[in-house]
Amino acid sequence: MKFAQLAFVFRRVLKSLRELLWTHALTSGTMAMTLFIFGGFLLIQENLHGMLRGWGSQIQIFAYLENNVSQADLQSLLEQIRSYPEVEGVRFVSKAEAWENFKKTLGSQSGILEGLPPDILPSSLEIALKKPHRHRVSVTSLSQRIRGMKGISEVEYPEEWIEKLSLLVLGVQWAKWILGGFLFVATLLIVGSTVKLAILARKDEIEIMQLVGAPAGLIKAPFVLEGMIQGIVGASLSLLFLWLLFLFLRYHLPSSLGIFPSRDQLQFLDSGGISLLIFLGWMLGASGSLFSLRRFLKTW
Amino acid sequence: MIQLFRVSKVYPPNYPALTDIHLRVEKGEFVFLSGPSGAGKTTLLKLLFREEEATDGQIIVNGRNVTRLDGKGVAQLRQEIGLVFQEFKLLPSMTALENVALAAEVVGMSRWESRKRAFHLLRELGLKDRHDARPQTLSGGEQQRVAIARALVNDPILVLADEPTGNLDVEMAEETMRLFLKIHEKGTTIMIATHDAGLLKRFERRAFVLQRGRLMGDSRLAKGEVAL
Repeated sequence: MKFAQLAFVFRRVLKSLRELLWTHALTSGTMAMTLFIFGGFLLIQENLHGMLRGWGSQIQIFAYLENNVSQADLQSLLEQIRSYPEVEGVRFVSKAEAWENFKKTLGSQSGILEGLPPDILPSSLEIALKKPHRHRVSVTSLSQRIRGMKGISEVEYPEEWIEKLSLLVLGVQWAKWILGGFLFVATLLIVGSTVKLAILARKDEIEIMQLVGAPAGLIKAPFVLEGMIQGIVGASLSLLFLWLLFLFLRYHLPSSLGIFPSRDQLQFLDSGGISLLIFLGWMLGASGSLFSLRRFLKTW
Repeated sequence: MIQLFRVSKVYPPNYPALTDIHLRVEKGEFVFLSGPSGAGKTTLLKLLFREEEATDGQIIVNGRNVTRLDGKGVAQLRQEIGLVFQEFKLLPSMTALENVALAAEVVGMSRWESRKRAFHLLRELGLKDRHDARPQTLSGGEQQRVAIARALVNDPILVLADEPTGNLDVEMAEETMRLFLKIHEKGTTIMIATHDAGLLKRFERRAFVLQRGRLMGDSRLAKGEVAL
C-alpha cells in the first residue's frame, strides 16, 4: 500500500469514528464487559495461584512425638530426619511452646483453656522441605518414612488443602475459557453488526471506490482498523474497571477472610495478564470486522 | 482496445441478457452502443469493467482477458477505465472537488495532487466556481460534468458511459456529448450506451445495435441513416 493510500485509510477511520461515535462507543463498551468478565476470572485465578505458591513455600510436615521420648532418642530422630535429601530443616517444638502457640491462636478466647494442664499438647517436629520437594509425592513419601520411626506417634501435612485449592484453580481456569468462549462469540457477532452498520453507512462510497479501481485491501483496511481500535479501547476500559474493582476489594474486604491470610496479598494482573487482555481485545475487533466484511462486502 | 468473442450472459434462473456477441473496437474510436431499453447495453458495459461475469465467451480490454482476472486484476483494469452513469453516482456528503479527487486518491495519488488535478478538470469542464458545491445543489448537467471529471481524473484510456444524457434535457445532453467528443479528440477510446435515436442522428459515429441481447448491426453510420 502506498503512503498516500495509508493516509487515506487513516482519514477514513477518523471520519468514521467521528460520524458513528456512539455505535463505536457501544461496541467498545460491549467488548469491555466481555473482557471484564474474562479478566475477573483471570484475576481470581492469578490470586489463587499466588496463594498456592505461598502455601507451597510453607509446606511442612508435622511429626508429633510420643510422650516418653528421651533426649537421646530425640537427638537421634533429629539427625536421622536431617539426613534425608528432601529435608531443609527440622525444628523441635516443645510441649510448652505448643501450649503457648495454641493460646496465641485462640487469642481473646484463650480463657477456655483455664484449668487444663499445660503439657496436654504433644511435643512435635516441624519439618521444612527443600524447594524441589514441595509437592505431594515427596511429602507423602517422606511422611511415610517418618511415620515408621521410633518415638513418632502421628504425622500430618496440609496435602488435602493444597489439593482442594489446586482443584479450585483448575475450575476457575476452565470456567474462564468456557464462559469467555461464549462471550467472545457473542461479542464477535456484535462487532460484526457494527461493521455491517458502518458498511451500510458507506455503501455508496464503497461502490464508487470499487468502480474506480480501489484495491480491495484499501476498501477493507479502514473497517479492520476501526475494529482493532474498538477492541483496544474495550480492553483498556475493562482493565480500568478491573482496577477499580480490585481497589475496592483491597480496601473494603475484611482483613481476614479465612483463605486470604491478608488483603495486602491480593495482587492485580501482572504484565502478562494485561497484555493478554489487550491482545484479546485487539483480536476480537479485528476478527469481528473481517468476519463481517466477508459476509457483507461484495468483492470480486 | 475492446474485443468480444462469442460472449453470452445468462442471468439466473434462465434469462439470456446477451447472446453470442462478437465485436471489436479499435484504440481511439468513438462508438455508440444503441438499442431499446432491455436490449443488453448496460449488461455489455458491465461485462467490460467486470461488474458482471460473462457466462460464456472471451472479453479482451486493452490486452487483458477480462474473464480471467482476479480481484487485483479487476482493480487494475478499472483504473484504466473511466465510468460515467445515467444517475451520476456522486456522493452527497462530499463536495464536487472531493468527489473527483476521491477517485484519484484511492488509486494512490497524494491528497494534494489529487485535489489539484480535480480542480483543474472541474475548471476545464466549466465548473470552476462550483467545486465547493455539494452534488444536490448542482443542476443535472453540472452533476454529469462532475461525474465526467471523476471518470477522467486517472487519465483513462477508455471511457464507458451508460446513458450519460438520460437524465438531461436536450440542451444539456448536447453539451455533454460535445464534452465526450472533446475527450475523444485527445485520443481516448469512448463507448456510449444510449437508447436515444436523436442523439445518434445528431452525432454521426459508428454504432453497435443491440436487440433482445443480440448484436443486430455494426455500422459506421452517416448522419440521418440511423435505424433502430
